[in-house]
Amino acid sequence: MRVRFWGVRGSFPVPGRQTNRYGGNTSCVEVEVPGHAPIVIDAGTGLRQLGKSLVRNGNGLIHLLISHTHWDHIQGLPYFSPLYNEGNELQIYARQPGDTHLGAVFAHQNDGPYFPVPLESLKARVQFNELLEGQQFAIGDVKVRCTRLNHPWIAMAYRLDYQGKSVVYCSDTAPFRDILLEHEFIAAPPSAGVPLDKMHEIQLRMMREKLVDLCRGADFLIYDTQFTPAEYEAKPHWGHSTPDDAIAIAREAGAKTLCLFHHAPARTDDEQDVILATYQHLLRDDDLELVCAAEGMVVDLGEGGL
Amino acid sequence: MRLDVWGVRGSIPAPGPSTNRYGGNTPCVSVIDANGHLCVIDMGTGVVSLGTAVLQKTLPIAEDFGAGAGEATVLLSHGHWDHIQGFPFFAPVFIPGNTLNIYGNARSADRVEAVLEGQMNPQFSPIYTLKNLGAKINFEGIREEQCFRVSNLEICSMELPHGETTALAFQIKEQGKTLVYASDVGYPIAGASDAIIEFYQGAEVLIHDSTYTPEEQEERRYRGLSSYLEAAAVAHRAQVGKLVLFHYDQDHSDDTVDENVRKCGQELERLGAGQIEVVGAFEGMRLEI
Repeated sequence: MRVRFWGVRGSFPVPGRQTNRYGGNTSCVEVEVPGHAPIVIDAGTGLRQLGKSLVRNGNGLIHLLISHTHWDHIQGLPYFSPLYNEGNELQIYARQPGDTHLGAVFAHQNDGPYFPVPLESLKARVQFNELLEGQQFAIGDVKVRCTRLNHPWIAMAYRLDYQGKSVVYCSDTAPFRDILLEHEFIAAPPSAGVPLDKMHEIQLRMMREKLVDLCRGADFLIYDTQFTPAEYEAKPHWGHSTPDDAIAIAREAGAKTLCLFHHAPARTDDEQDVILATYQHLLRDDDLELVCAAEGMVVDLGEGGL
Repeated sequence: MRLDVWGVRGSIPAPGPSTNRYGGNTPCVSVIDANGHLCVIDMGTGVVSLGTAVLQKTLPIAEDFGAGAGEATVLLSHGHWDHIQGFPFFAPVFIPGNTLNIYGNARSADRVEAVLEGQMNPQFSPIYTLKNLGAKINFEGIREEQCFRVSNLEICSMELPHGETTALAFQIKEQGKTLVYASDVGYPIAGASDAIIEFYQGAEVLIHDSTYTPEEQEERRYRGLSSYLEAAAVAHRAQVGKLVLFHYDQDHSDDTVDENVRKCGQELERLGAGQIEVVGAFEGMRLEI
């Protein structure tokens, strides 16, 4: 199993010299399994370059897992070149968000006045698979599990297992302590000192336990670490985590490698270097290895490990 | 008036080292008039940097957007993603007290609002609705030729062909000087109509769509965009002062844009319009008109 990063940025794409090294494209990760149709997780702007590589490789069937339908996780889809070729097939998997069919949610992005090519005029066949929280299913020889995360309108984490190796994709989520994020808009952070609603506390605890269970013994854990601790304190209701939160989950689950992901749009490459170095120093005597996602980075989880 | 360029790329933002010089952000330019009034044209991802500059007060804007005391004019050429996708990340809209007056390519104010509201839907955005933004937002639908005055600027719009839809071009005048913005336009093979040329006529600066090379245009004419040849042709016919190429294809590297700008200059020479200066728009470009 091989993991390849095509987009690592959160919120919106950020072109410019300050993002040349880690990359300015929004979330998109490819999981390659030998002899298997490509599995893609999230369709941010990184998907455009991935599409070019697939067209060159002449693949027909592509699987796309969507964590949630916020723009930075779907905005690359209209620019995914395999959709414009006859004979290709795209299987999209996502949680069923509310009472709108997934097809209608995605059709909105391709409709006028936003985009000139409606979903139904694409040459490739596109199929939607609506997932339930906690569902387990197989994509060929790859076993897929999912669990929900703490994010506005709800996001899903995915675990992929293949021949004894595993990768978990956990983006986007807030930590599971200060606020429960579901379908309500929350305008301001909770006031300091006000205890969490008892039901919310229980829900968050259960959500966290299920996530730790999903990450159990994972070889490679990709985690939303958009915020520094200070940024999180100001914006706990935005639905993103810090490296500290990710490290806590990774340690509890016994994950082998943790990968920082979904970098803040304003974060420069130099700032990201400092964040990575700081936390690597913190983990210098730890079994947990820490890496940071960058566009073009390839991680082999097969023979010989990383 | 002062023109600043914040985003120059068509279709989708194109990050990476190959777009560092011209820039990878989608369309956004700003005009600041003699009164210090801010007028924004299109809100691609370039508008994020404009928002930062507005709050850092690095621009000669009279009003204080940071204190919630700013009022800006926004002109939207059309509703394709690359012209509106920066809007939810334009920092001044989050500050209560600010006002945005948005003029869009639609038959009614409600329709302009619906286009932007559709981008904020909770399926797609953690903001959920425009109503959760702090600023007051007024909408106005404009179609075909319409003129209005904002601060010291006289603004006229014209609906141009853009594939199966249309995009508005804007003519902005102050103190006898004219800027024309014409992104996302694709003319019939016979060329631009006389009415369009009249709209561009004599502009000091014409910002014009220049998505393709002529070879690409041959295969993609149906998409309703221009190559640098069409840009040169209209600049020549309208006798503009300066031609600013704009809205580059997402796959064009800086070197390709360099080459297209050079060839556009050659085309102007060939047409006998060598006096027209041609430049490629880049992020951070500034012109006093």
